[in-house]
Amino acid sequence: MYAILKPDETRSDGERMSDKPINKGPHDMGGEPAGAIDTTDHGMKFWEKQANALRSTLGAKKIVRLDELRRAAEDLGELYYKLAYFERTTMALRTMLLEKGVITEPELHAKMDEVRARFDVPQAASKPVQKSGHR
Amino acid sequence: MKFGASATASPSTYTPAPNHRFNVGDRVVVKRSFPPGHRRTPYYIRGKRGVIERICGAFPNPEELAYGFDGQPRRVLYRVRFPQRHVWQQYDGPARDVIEMEIYEHWLEPASDQAGGE
Repeated sequence: MYAILKPDETRSDGERMSDKPINKGPHDMGGEPAGAIDTTDHGMKFWEKQANALRSTLGAKKIVRLDELRRAAEDLGELYYKLAYFERTTMALRTMLLEKGVITEPELHAKMDEVRARFDVPQAASKPVQKSGHR
Repeated sequence: MKFGASATASPSTYTPAPNHRFNVGDRVVVKRSFPPGHRRTPYYIRGKRGVIERICGAFPNPEELAYGFDGQPRRVLYRVRFPQRHVWQQYDGPARDVIEMEIYEHWLEPASDQAGGE
């Protein structure tokens, strides 16, 4: 009902804030037009369950923190809107593991190549799925 | 019920917050600041005036934890109550409607008396 409401953006000096607010993260969407909400339960794909389990385990062992993962997801910028939930969280996990030196980029790519070869997935179809549209 | 009247209720403290700057019922204004990085205060509430509803406790600063630091010293977290009509320009619901939000102390400043919560 209030999806089209805009926060009162009148500043104390009477100026309006610009259309592109400075340093506003993609996650910080309170008050923005929301559109229709998809309430379908899509379940979890196999890889999503695995990725989620890995994220939970690394969190429980305090190797990565929830706050760090949130920050890494927010830093995705425009990509944040294009990725599905588990793609977003997995990208954030990738960022944190590289940032902390738990894994290296060459190790990650070597492992991805190994897994691809195992399942014989064509290269063209192995890119992360990108949804069309905004959110 | 007058806005902010329930602030007379005893504060519910989840974890100890011995050195809190604000007390229940205090009028505050959220800093109108737009720094980069992981920030826990939603954009739309910055610059808004509200009343401290409760002191939630003191917690490691998530804005530091987000970058691998220890979040010390702990920051006091408050639940702050804002009138919806103050937050949203075109809000057409009842004037008594409020939004409550948990905000860290370093995002809050004391508000002057004249415009605390309408």
